This record gives sequence, structure tokens and C-alpha cells, in this order.
Amino acid sequence: QHGRVKVKTTAQQEEEKKKEREKKLKIYVAARDACFAKRKEGVKDEEALELTQQLLSSNPDFATLWNQRREILTHLETIYDSELHFLESCLKVNPKSYGSWFHRGWVSSRLPRPNWVRELSLCDRCLSLDDRNFHCWDYRRMVVKMSGVSVEKELEFTDRLISSNFSNYSSWHYRSTLLTLLHPESPEPKSPSRDPQTHSHQYELVQNAFFTDPNDQSAWFYYRWLLGRGNFNCFVVLYFPTLATITLFCAFLFSQRTICDLPPGTISDITNEHNLTVHWSEKPTRRDCALYTGRSESWCRDSATDQELFRSELSVEKTSVLQSELESCNQLQELEPLNKWCLLTIILLMRALDPLGYEKETLAHFQTLKEVDPMRSAYYSDLCSKFMIENTILKMEYAEVRVFSISDKNLTTLCHLDQLLLVTHISLSSNQLCRLPLQFAMLQCLEVLEAENNLIEKLEGLYHLPKLEEVLLRNNKISSLADLEPLASCPKLKHLDLRGNPVSQSDGVEAELKTLLPNVTELLL
Amino acid sequence: MGTQIKDVIIKPDAPATLLLDKHADYIAAYGSKKDDYEYTLSEYLRMSGIYWGLTVMDLMGQLHRMSRAEILEFIKSCQHESGGLSASIGHDPHLLYTLSSVQILCLYDSMDCIDVDRVVEYVRGLQQEDGSFAGDKWGEIDTRFSFCAVATLALLGKMDAINIGKAIEFVLSCMNFDGGFGCRPGSESHAGQIYCCTGFLSLTGQLHQVNADLLGWWLCERQLPSGGLNGRPEKLPDVCYSWWVLASLKIIGKIHWIDKTKLRAFILACQDEETGGFADRPGDMVDPFHTLFGVAGLSLLGDEQVKAVNPVLCMPEDVLQRRGLQPDLLS
Repeated sequence: QHGRVKVKTTAQQEEEKKKEREKKLKIYVAARDACFAKRKEGVKDEEALELTQQLLSSNPDFATLWNQRREILTHLETIYDSELHFLESCLKVNPKSYGSWFHRGWVSSRLPRPNWVRELSLCDRCLSLDDRNFHCWDYRRMVVKMSGVSVEKELEFTDRLISSNFSNYSSWHYRSTLLTLLHPESPEPKSPSRDPQTHSHQYELVQNAFFTDPNDQSAWFYYRWLLGRGNFNCFVVLYFPTLATITLFCAFLFSQRTICDLPPGTISDITNEHNLTVHWSEKPTRRDCALYTGRSESWCRDSATDQELFRSELSVEKTSVLQSELESCNQLQELEPLNKWCLLTIILLMRALDPLGYEKETLAHFQTLKEVDPMRSAYYSDLCSKFMIENTILKMEYAEVRVFSISDKNLTTLCHLDQLLLVTHISLSSNQLCRLPLQFAMLQCLEVLEAENNLIEKLEGLYHLPKLEEVLLRNNKISSLADLEPLASCPKLKHLDLRGNPVSQSDGVEAELKTLLPNVTELLL
Repeated sequence: MGTQIKDVIIKPDAPATLLLDKHADYIAAYGSKKDDYEYTLSEYLRMSGIYWGLTVMDLMGQLHRMSRAEILEFIKSCQHESGGLSASIGHDPHLLYTLSSVQILCLYDSMDCIDVDRVVEYVRGLQQEDGSFAGDKWGEIDTRFSFCAVATLALLGKMDAINIGKAIEFVLSCMNFDGGFGCRPGSESHAGQIYCCTGFLSLTGQLHQVNADLLGWWLCERQLPSGGLNGRPEKLPDVCYSWWVLASLKIIGKIHWIDKTKLRAFILACQDEETGGFADRPGDMVDPFHTLFGVAGLSLLGDEQVKAVNPVLCMPEDVLQRRGLQPDLLS
């Protein structure tokens, strides 16, 4: 039960209420028992309809009674119209009962000639009273499907609702599904000028909303989605066939990676050069990779300096649209400096346009965000960490080096580790990391790990790293020997710095470590 | 012109400590209210009501105060020919109450009270061609029922009875632009449905399909200035969302994106110092539903006076350990 305010009453009022409730209870129980009795005896008549109607009018969540009514209606084969009438009154009283809406849908679909126009008009009326009633929206979607209302007409409907009301999340949501039907992958139709539902129209519509009311959060949620639409996964492909594992690693820029095994016998010896071609079945792409004589690893990747690769999803039109939107949002931000939605959107726009160029501003805005919206500080810290890691990857790609260095950047989380397959040196020092997660184990080329001055307690991801030689963990929070166990699976580990960790204070830890990690020659405690 | 943020204001004299004894007394007495009008009105969900009461008592270490024998008898008489269980005697079977009854039997370690094979058959029979689940033979489709189906089977160790691949396909088709999930494909994201779908994806080993960053953002934006959580944008906070939202965040590894201190203060403010129990928001009438989710929410936030609760199944962790069930969570 929701929204029932507790009201204080006197003892006498309590007594009166108690008597009244006892009376109501008696009536209710009698009616319920009568319904059940009829059903047990298999009696499906008007009286049974009367009885169930009585109870359902005040308690439409009593699902078994709707079941009983459906049995009676099926048996009597008529009275569907009066049923719809009864349902309308039920919905007036309680427009949020699953049972009522489902029953109406059941009745409608059983009519020889369902009146979908009437059903749609019922939805219009219901939504005009409460445009967040998801039961009604779901019912509407069913009616639209059954009667073939066009996507364009429904988009117009959402336009009307959005322009006349606030509290529009349901309408924006519906738009997102309708647009996806119209333009499955790309928001760019062939002839932009005439079609009212074009790309720039989309942006205009939502901009209107949040410029009119910057606190209308639904528009901001929708906008974030709109910004990301049509961004195809550009791939920077890293191949990594190794003889040891005979596996191919493929990583896609900022998204899922795939591992597949090479067909057996592909690389039968290392004394010759081998050329491999990889085809994707999902996208019409192929990449070639050469494994050179005497080498056990190889890679091939698309040039990161190629404008096309990173910005291919941003057409000229979209770039100029986003640029002008950034300007508008900046203006809005001056008027509403405490509006977090605006700040976050500015960050997202800057990332869409020029992630490296706007790095300074991005960091400054995140700082402001944490001040104006402190409840979500942890979210902003993680998001900022993600963006800084992305920037560092971009810089690394541009420089074509295998060193990943991201110190003193207030990192609270690690991600995109699957992009660091080729990295030999990684520095994460002076951040706020608590753990080296399981995905760390993907860094198969890693030789040196610098992670001093963090809050690291767990090293789950430091296992089976075949080339790892040096691990620097000074000033962290590693507290037990158990936390160091993953390191035992790294055969080349020679140098381990554990100074300034709680574990280095425990008695006998040096001896225990010598047993756990016999190959380590330089141990600093 | 501007939208006012819908929220509540917590009064300075609102309860600020956890009144466990009062809540235990409230729930213990609730079952004996058979001559109460409101109690009778809610007969259509009695099995779930019992599950809420027993679970919160177990979380508080007070399960022994409930009438075990009576409840087990009740459950036996609620299993129908089809194998499904109803909310109460004389009511029709449904997936919702089938899950609740199986959860109760887990708490009491008494699964042999019912015909388990028939339950499995009932659940299997409700799966549709598109992978979705109907709630009962009448055919209402909802992702809540997908959750009920796999949770029931997971507790019985019989998940292979259904077409899991198709079931997953259907749930994923309900993912929205904001990373959330609704009742059916095309339905708006709602915290209750999100809990069911992330719970479903956990039980079926598919959490990697969730966009945790995007959904986590949507979920942490449920927190209002009062510290309470709502179920979707522009709605009032409600203590039950301390469960639906919080558990979802825990499942996708983003529970730290919520301000825990402020949420705890809100939950505690929803207690009724006089009667015991929790209400949906401060000052309202209490009920067992909100009492469970208030206490369970506090458990997820780390309150040590309460047993650890499993975020996927909303049952004490020790009960699930007994059954060897440990659903995936993202870290």
C-alpha cells in the first residue's frame, strides 16, 4: 500500500472506525465466499458477474475474480460491451491496476470487431490525466500494434504531449522506440530538409525542452542517448597471435573484445613468416596480420592518427550541429551555474567533438559537478576516470608507444583494460584505486607495473601474466598474504615493492613471501 | 517557470536509529490479524505477504517467532493440480505466488512439502514462443514473470527445464535507450522491472549484456535531495525502492554511486516508532512489504545488526548458502 497517511484519532474515533471496519469485513467476506461458492459449483451466470463486479469495483487487484469473470464471459459469449463499460469505471477509480488493464486487453481482443479507435481515445484521455501511467502507455502500444497506427502519427502524438506538459519521461521514452523503428542504425535520413523527424529536428526538439526548463531531467536523459546514436563502433584492431596460446585477441575501441582460437595447424613452425587474414562475419571487414620469423607475437592496427577512424561517425553536419549545441549549452551554463544536467551534457558534447582538446575543461567541469551534486560524487569520479583512461589510450595510440602512464589523475576505477593488450609498462601511481580487477589479467605483454600511492587492497587481476617482472605497490592497503597469492602465478616476477602496506608489518611475512614467491630476488618491505 | 523537484522533507524529530525489536513485534503480531478488514482485502497476495514477513524476521534473527507448522500446511493447500501455487486457499495459481512459496520453503528448509516436479512443469508450461513468460494460464506477459520463473527454478536447481536462450533474448529485447528495462518490449524503464531483469540476467549468467555504466547512472539519479530513492524520474521517493534500486546497483557493481549516509537516514525516517514497521515514506501507514524492503535495504548498506541479504533473491545469504546458490554479481 502506498501513499496512505497516518492520521491520529481519539479512542472514541478508534472504536467507531473499528465497528465500521468489522461491518465492511462481514460484507466483503460474504461476497467473496459467494463468488468462490459459485465457482466451485461451476455456476457461470449473471449473478456471479454481479458478485465479482461488486468486489472488483473496490479491489481490482483481486486477480482470481478477473479469472472467474473471464470464465463466465467465455461461457455466456456476450456482454463484452458492458464489460468494457464496467472496466472504464474500474480504471477511473484505480488507473494503475494490472488486472484491470489486462482484462480490458483480453476483452478487446475477443470482440468480433474491436473498436481500436475507441481504445486509443481511452488512452488519450487517461494519459491527459496522468502521462506517466505506464499501464496506459503499454496498453496504447498494444492498441497501436493491433490497429496499425503509423509510427509518424505516434511521433506526432508525443510531440503534442511534450510541448504541452512537463514530466514527460514516458513520452521521450516512447520517442526513442519510435525513432529506432524509423531509423534503425543511423539517425541520418537521405534527404534531411523535408522530413520533420530529421536528425537536426530531433536535436531542436529536445533542446527546446531543456532550454525552456533546465530542470526537466527527462530531456537531458534523452539528449544523452541522442548524442550517442549512430556512433558505429570504430575499431582499432589489435591482433595478438602467440604461439604459446595460439589465440587471436581482437579489441574494439572502447567496446567488447573477442578472443578466438586459431584453427589448429595454422602456425606449424616459427622458422617461417606467416600471414593471417581475419574476417568478421558481422561486419564486412577484414584485416591482415603478419607473424615474422622468430617472433612469438605480432600485431596489426589501424592508424590512430587517421581522422576517418575516430570521427567517421561524426558527419560534417553533425559536427557543426554539436558545435553550436555546445555553444548554446555553455550560454545556458552561465545562466544556471548550478545545473548539473547542463554541466554533464557539456562534458559529453566536448567528448563527442574533441576529447583530447577539451581535457582541461572536462576536468574543471567534473570538479564543479562534484560540488553542485555531491550525492553523485562517486559516479562523477568513476566517469571522469573512464574519460581520462580513454584520453591516455588515445595519446598512447597517437604516439605509438607501449607505455601507459596515468598518474595523479584521481582515478577511482579502471576500465578499457582490454585496450592495453600490447602495453609493456603501466604506471597508475598516485591515484585512488582500491583494486586491480580481474580484467587486468588481459595485459599479457606487461613487464612493469607501477602502482604506488593508491588504496589497493586486492590484486585479483595479477595472475598468469607471463612477462611481468616488476611490481611496485608502495603505500597501498594490502593487508594479508592471501591478497598476494595471485602473484605466485607470474613466473618471471623478480622485483616486488610492498613498503608502506599493512601486510609488511606482520610477523614472519618475509619468510612467508619467500615461500610463496621463490623467484623474487628483490623484495622490499 | 520550472519543475519543482518532487520529494519529501524529513522532519528533525524523525527516527534516526534502527528499532529492530519494534519491527519484530509488529510482524509477529501481523499474522494474527485475521479479523482485520485491510488484512482480508490483501488476501489476493497472502503468499507474498507471508514471504515478506518471514524474510524480514529471519533477517532480524527472529524467524522462530512465526508459526512454521501453520504456514507449511497453508502452502500445501495452495498447490493446484497444474503444479502452480496460489496466493491463498481458493485463489488461482500464479507465478508470483509460486516463487513466494518456494522462497518460504527455502527459509524453512522444507521443500518436500510440495510436489517439486509439478512446480517445474507449471513454470515450463508458462514459457511462450518468444521466450517470455506468462504469469498464469490467462497469458499476461511481463518481465517480472521471467524473473519469477528463473528464480523459482534456480532455487529448485532446475533451470534447464526452460529454454534459457529464448528467455534471455526476450528480457534483452526489453532493454531501453536509458539502459533500463520495462514490463514488455517498448515499455518504459522502471526500478521494479530493472530489479527483475538484472536479477534474471544474474541468474542466467548474462550480466555482461547490461550497460552497467549507463544503467548505473540512471539508477543513482533515483536518489533525491531527501536521500530517498524513487522508482523512475519525477516520482516521489519510496522505501521499497531502497530495495529495487539498491539491489540492482549491487548486482551491477555500482552501489557506491549512491550516497549511503543520506539513504540510510531516509530509510530510518520511514519507521513508525509507535507501531513498529516501515511505511513508504515518513509519516505514512506501515505495512510488512515496506518493512521488509526497509530492513533489506539497510542490510545492503552494511548494517551489522541485520543479517546479510542476497541482492538477487532477497533472501538471507545463509539460506542460499545452504542451497549452494551464489548468483553472479558484477564487481
